[in-house]
Amino acid sequence: MRTGGRRVSGPELAAVDGLRVRIGPRVLVDGVSLRVRAGRVTALVGPSGSGKTTTALALLGAYPEGARVSGTVSLAGAGGAPVGHVPQHPGTVLNPVRRAGVLLRDLARVHGGGPEAVRRALHDTELSEVEGLLRRYPHQLSGGQQQRLVLAQALLTGARVIVADEPTTGQDPAAARRLAALFRRLAARGTGLLLLSHDLDLVRESADEVVLLADGRAVRVGPPDEVLRVPARPVVPPARSAPAPAPVPAPTSGAAAPVRLDVTGLTARHPGGAVVLHEVGLSLRAGECLALTGRTGSGKTTLGRCLAGLHPRHEGTVLLDGEPLPRSVRQRGRRRLAAVQYVFQDARSAFADHRPVIDQVARAAVRLRGRTPSEAGAESAALLAALGLDPAKAARPPAGLSGGELQRASLARALIVGPAVLVCDEITAGLDADTRASILAHLADRRDRAGLALLFVSHDPAAVDALADRVATLADGRLHPASTAHPFGRQDTAPPG
Amino acid sequence: MRRYALGLGLVAVPLLLALGGPLLAGGPGPRGVSFTAGAGHWLGTDFAGRDVLRQVLLGGRPVVLVAVAATVLGYALALPLALAASLTGRTWVEELLLRPLDVLIAVPALLLVLLVATAAEPGPVGLAVLVGLTAVPDIARVAHAAAVAAASRPVVEALRLHGESWWRIAFGQVARTIRRTLAADAGTRLVGALYLVATAAFLGVGVRPDTADWAVMVDRNRAGLFLQPWAVVVPALLVAGLSTGTNLLFDTALARPRGRGPGAGRCGPGAAA
Repeated sequence: MRTGGRRVSGPELAAVDGLRVRIGPRVLVDGVSLRVRAGRVTALVGPSGSGKTTTALALLGAYPEGARVSGTVSLAGAGGAPVGHVPQHPGTVLNPVRRAGVLLRDLARVHGGGPEAVRRALHDTELSEVEGLLRRYPHQLSGGQQQRLVLAQALLTGARVIVADEPTTGQDPAAARRLAALFRRLAARGTGLLLLSHDLDLVRESADEVVLLADGRAVRVGPPDEVLRVPARPVVPPARSAPAPAPVPAPTSGAAAPVRLDVTGLTARHPGGAVVLHEVGLSLRAGECLALTGRTGSGKTTLGRCLAGLHPRHEGTVLLDGEPLPRSVRQRGRRRLAAVQYVFQDARSAFADHRPVIDQVARAAVRLRGRTPSEAGAESAALLAALGLDPAKAARPPAGLSGGELQRASLARALIVGPAVLVCDEITAGLDADTRASILAHLADRRDRAGLALLFVSHDPAAVDALADRVATLADGRLHPASTAHPFGRQDTAPPG
Repeated sequence: MRRYALGLGLVAVPLLLALGGPLLAGGPGPRGVSFTAGAGHWLGTDFAGRDVLRQVLLGGRPVVLVAVAATVLGYALALPLALAASLTGRTWVEELLLRPLDVLIAVPALLLVLLVATAAEPGPVGLAVLVGLTAVPDIARVAHAAAVAAASRPVVEALRLHGESWWRIAFGQVARTIRRTLAADAGTRLVGALYLVATAAFLGVGVRPDTADWAVMVDRNRAGLFLQPWAVVVPALLVAGLSTGTNLLFDTALARPRGRGPGAGRCGPGAAA
């Protein structure tokens, strides 16, 4: 972390003054002002739903449908300097049927640059050393590469202001640190950056100024050291509190608890035949949490999806309570579907966009636990409330909820069927500290009281520390025992197998 | 509502005439001279000296009903097939469902209709079934291409994980996701069916040459086009209005609302403010 000696402020590139956005009676943003200056990184932080995205999109001239807007947004330069936008899921803005090279060269041509401009943009975004990048299609790039490709496009358009939305979502700590350094270098070249992030490490490492939003207002503005000096508090209650009185006999971790999930020789392939996982073996006891870490592309998600039955192209045996678990989700009956549940990383894409979220949560209980719709509705309202999501808010379709709120709903939809094994894929990525803490606390409680076996795929060291009993690392599709490869320095036992 | 006005107007006139026309037509009047205007005939007389207005009132029902029934039938058969193929996840099942249709797609629809008509007199119901069947391969192909992408979304995986039934996944989620594509396709499909039915009638398939039928009218009255244009122009306009209006209506109803919802990525880099 850098301290003091922040850069002298450059010329102002963009200014937002007294921005107020409301939709009907709801006020999304209530009088926010901020400045983006050349050579500086400004970070917008705050809990989900505090108005970060709305404020940032205002710089791009985009507002939610039906919004009433007051205040001014001004951009420096004649006609305003172009503003680049790197969305949270950069793949969504890259044309999927064009190769990276074509995407860049076309933009360069439109903006009067040649091959030299493309080379420069690739160099500035550290893409020049990626072999064969220009010949690849966007879906053949990793998330981080897609992100840098979008950045390179922004640079080619001559953008002097770049808005990056949750740039470290789903990236491992090393990649996040490289990204912070990249942002610093871009700023040093005279670009003004606006970061929207829950990742306070990224903000501390890269930002010059932080604007803390709460309920649509800027509550604190200043250098990161001042704004982010929050009272230290644990992310979750201590991982193993004294065993609480429980309806089921509290299972103790270790040899006593029964083995729920036993995986041996799991080898998974991509549709093209490339092997993603080699002979992976692991076992998971009731009331135990195994954290799975590893770099982007190491096969963590695939392993989780194999267990959930969403990636049937695999060999090897997966035993649930000693019985073989069918490879595909289609061959699993209700009992087994309910027993193994999976929480998707991108919660928004896992909900149907036309139905109220709470109905979709309740529907899972209707289908898998035979509840009547009214019972299921009451149950899901209670569960959502326990996860810190107002059931009235959940009565909206997904578009009316923030990413963090949907993540909670997504977790509720998996938990409501009472799973024995829960696979969580990066569910704390892009969440604010409070939401993360409440989700982790709830999971810890389920694990301890109900004997839930958790496979927790995560890059988030704090979350892993708080929740995991054991940590295993995937690298190149092989599972490495935790004791030698623990990335976060905790003492743990190796997973068997 | 105002944006619907043009499409609605274009569709309403032919549709109302087709459905309600026969009720207003009244009995056959005395035959007059062929291809004359005036003399109590608002739209003149046709090639057989009959009142064109009465022929127009009577002639819509067969064309429109057959075309609509054929389109509905085509969709009723093709959509479940396409959804099943896109949701199966087994390549061989997908091939089994769709390959045979690819063979049929190569046979021109009109040829098929003519062939069957020579072998047996189809009648209006038979014609509707025939035209509907010829549309199945095309509809299935378009619907399948759209459904494959929709069926591989995480939301479909989530529904499977939560034990949702096949019908709900297929029709509640996948078909709903691709509804814009389907609606655009249905619009052109209805026009295609209209033209096929009209062409068949034009060639004398399934109808007698003196039947009151918009398509037959266009054909039979061509000879007198310069003596008495209404006998050709009015039925031709009605067919064109129906097809144009249908497409306009579908377009308007499915036009994406402007602006953006929260969360969805809006624009790439360089979205200049």
